[in-house]
Amino acid sequence: MARYLVVRVLWMIPTFIGITLISFLIVHLAPGDPAKLAAGGGLGAGAGAGLAADKRAAVNRAVTEWRTQFGLDKPLHVQYVVWLGNLVTLKFGESFKDQQPVVEKIARRLPVTILLNVLSIALIYLVAVPLGIYSATHPYTFMDRLMTVGAFVLFSLPTFWVAILAIVFLGGGDFYDVFPPGGLHATDYSTAWPLLTRAGDLGIHLFLPVLILSYGGFAELSRFMRGSLLETLTQNYILTARAKGLSERVVVYKHALRNSLVPMVTILAGILPSLIGGSVIVESIFSIPGIGQLGFQAVLARDYPVIMAVFTMGALVTLVSILLSDILLTVVDPRVTFKRRVAS
Amino acid sequence: MHAANRHRSTPGLALVLALCLGLLPLAACKRGAQEAEAPAPKAAADAGPPVTGDWLVEHLLSDPEQLNPLTSNDATASSLLGHMVESLLDRDPDTLALRPLLAASLPEVSDDHLTYTFHLRPDGRFSDGKPVTGEDVLFSIKAIKSPKVNAPFLRVYYASIVGAELVDPLTIRFTATEPYFLNESVLGGVSVLPKHYYDPEGNLDGVTFAQVANDDPATRPQVAAFADRFNRDFARAPLGSGPYTFGEWKTGERVVLIRNPDYWGYGHEGIETPYVDRLVFKIVNNTDAALVTLKAGDLDVMGLDPLQHLRQTSSAKFKESFSKVTYYSPSYTYLGWNNDSPIFHDPAVRRAMTMLIDREAMVKTILFDLGQVINGPIYRFRPEYDESITPPPHDPAAADKLLDDAGWKDSDGDGIRDKVIDGGRVPFSFEIKINSGNEVRKSVALTVQDALRKHGIEVKIREIDWTIFLDDVQGRRFDAVVLGWAMSVNPPDAYQVWHSSQIDNGGSNFIGYRDDRVDEILTAYRREFDADKRIALYKEFQQILNRDQPYTFLFMRQSVLAYHRRFQNVQALPIGGVVVSRWWVPKALQKYGTAPAP
Repeated sequence: MARYLVVRVLWMIPTFIGITLISFLIVHLAPGDPAKLAAGGGLGAGAGAGLAADKRAAVNRAVTEWRTQFGLDKPLHVQYVVWLGNLVTLKFGESFKDQQPVVEKIARRLPVTILLNVLSIALIYLVAVPLGIYSATHPYTFMDRLMTVGAFVLFSLPTFWVAILAIVFLGGGDFYDVFPPGGLHATDYSTAWPLLTRAGDLGIHLFLPVLILSYGGFAELSRFMRGSLLETLTQNYILTARAKGLSERVVVYKHALRNSLVPMVTILAGILPSLIGGSVIVESIFSIPGIGQLGFQAVLARDYPVIMAVFTMGALVTLVSILLSDILLTVVDPRVTFKRRVAS
Repeated sequence: MHAANRHRSTPGLALVLALCLGLLPLAACKRGAQEAEAPAPKAAADAGPPVTGDWLVEHLLSDPEQLNPLTSNDATASSLLGHMVESLLDRDPDTLALRPLLAASLPEVSDDHLTYTFHLRPDGRFSDGKPVTGEDVLFSIKAIKSPKVNAPFLRVYYASIVGAELVDPLTIRFTATEPYFLNESVLGGVSVLPKHYYDPEGNLDGVTFAQVANDDPATRPQVAAFADRFNRDFARAPLGSGPYTFGEWKTGERVVLIRNPDYWGYGHEGIETPYVDRLVFKIVNNTDAALVTLKAGDLDVMGLDPLQHLRQTSSAKFKESFSKVTYYSPSYTYLGWNNDSPIFHDPAVRRAMTMLIDREAMVKTILFDLGQVINGPIYRFRPEYDESITPPPHDPAAADKLLDDAGWKDSDGDGIRDKVIDGGRVPFSFEIKINSGNEVRKSVALTVQDALRKHGIEVKIREIDWTIFLDDVQGRRFDAVVLGWAMSVNPPDAYQVWHSSQIDNGGSNFIGYRDDRVDEILTAYRREFDADKRIALYKEFQQILNRDQPYTFLFMRQSVLAYHRRFQNVQALPIGGVVVSRWWVPKALQKYGTAPAP
């Protein structure tokens, strides 16, 4: 196992470099010049406010100086190598927008996104697995068909639309006032509140975002679960178990379920990265200050250090979660081992 | 043989039910801790004298980029900083006259209009209690002029200020290179920053203004050291002498400003002294969500777009709690023709364009009547605006004739006019560039495309990202653009946009307008210190623009602000805008805590 791990981790390195190189190229080659945005008047009023031509020369000079200061005047491959070198020493640089260290900006927002995603994954599994099991053990019944249709409907509803609907109908506007319309904390939130009140406040604010982040996963995962369990239930050893006289509960939950959970584990590798992507939309609509929102705004402002840091994190998370799910697979499925099988 | 699989699996269903039940408590414990809804707000008549207290929860679409008073670039930051940082002079919101703020009186101006001497108030204080002195003003202007401070835009604004010296601890004298009628206003607008806070190491102490302004190599290290720290360390917690102090900034959530009860301005005539204890700026990234937040009571004031104003905020329930005020802002939208392009080089063609476009209809359909047509680059409510201008009327038949006379006829029967220019047949086909994300400008472009098609003109629309768009505009790579100018209520200066020297090098005269008489007027205007003569000059200027139609001036928009009824004294100024520091809430209606908490 150790040897396998080492080989896998070593393989991660060129993959990681590939991902970051492509991201780097896309970010830098995309039109839009951060120097002009940062030093030349920004996205705001300054850009259109009218500057006399003679003064424009002075501003252009400042823009060029700015570019030099941040190393943006060097050729692309040199810039990439410099960035990579900095990365190895964990120097993520400072944001173009406000010169704050990128690490700090991300660290401030990471907990929220992690919380959102962890809750979401937990919720997805908690809901989808039982739903899938029910569907598989009662195949082609009315409930099963209802769940199938429901799953497809849910799957097709775009998250940004559902999010807005949820806010409009449940957020206290013209309709029902069940949840707050967004944000993480109440307006008069104070750290002086007791822990339980604070937790409740956070809970009520996160309920809708987590639900919306997850509903697509309910559909997807419950379908997988259903399919996997159904397939397992047709295996011969299940027939044997039944023939032996075991109760249905034991057959399904003790024998079939464990084997059908295998694909659910490997799916985890695919779910996590897509959740990070999906949280950009949810974070923007619900005004939740997480990494998704940070990354999106950084892209708009061509804030290269932040963009690259967020992409790097995304790449790392994806690679690690793939590795993790491969390892988990060996835990869950004893047929999969790291050792080479001797030809028999 | 398979056994029929008919066993119900109740555990599965039970699990599902348990989950749903388990999630409910979270919903049930919606925090009801918010004080019970305030009693129905009474009419303003029996509200009594203004009192302090309560919070005003305003809406921000996104975080300010940063709150450094000199290096921040965006409008959000400026409006926040405006509550915390003050300058030597400000403008009376009602009369627009310059009046002293941190200065004790208007400056003494030398006869040649090159020297300006400001006397400071002896009792001006920063929010941390320290007094505002001439040293702080000198420091502020030095900081602006420091080459490495990341504020090139601001710095060039003060390019003509070449001297600053302390006459005594409370008196500072500035020297300018040219007699510009706005010098007083520009100098009066210097943000006065506390030296002890923004330069704690005293890096700029030993550096004179002249050394900073000229980038003297001898003092470069100190200036660079100062600039480095200044750019980096002061992005989040500004300090100034204004009535509000910085409370907190939770990125992505809110910015809180807290009223300073010891503000030096209390008790002084002519100083705006606010009543609201806290300004909470709640960040809601999405305008639909923001409207719901307003209705839910979590926002007190919000700008509404026309659809929200007309369709989504007319219910009785909304009107019970909220009121609206509409006002104009000094800005306008226009269609800019590239005056150097073969098609739009001819003023008769540009005139015909204006006559083909129904601007009144645009105000009705695109702005939903929230705005009005304008005919020149001056803010409608300023004295310089020429009411007597008769713009080209909406007359498509006359426009057709103009175009025919200018040589644009459909000679090959393809439905598109054409003309022989330089030996080649050029079709009347052009491209309007707009920036993405602006619905109004897009609607304008589509309307123009539709209107012109019926008269043999082919219009293509190209929508591009703002940064690329800006590049194209400044590089003059366009046939026509839909854009806007945001001005201020201050006396206008049209030099940057209309003088022929501002065409090259990315200047603001990107359409390429050239007229000798206009150049003369614009230059003379800047040196004219008699307000009436300035007005006369600009009226002539507007008449010339009307004749030449370098832009097709479209409209200026009206903004709608919805605010919670408990706020008193919410009025739109005649000149446009609202003054938040005049709002207050009667004790009985106050919703949030009254004591300014730390």
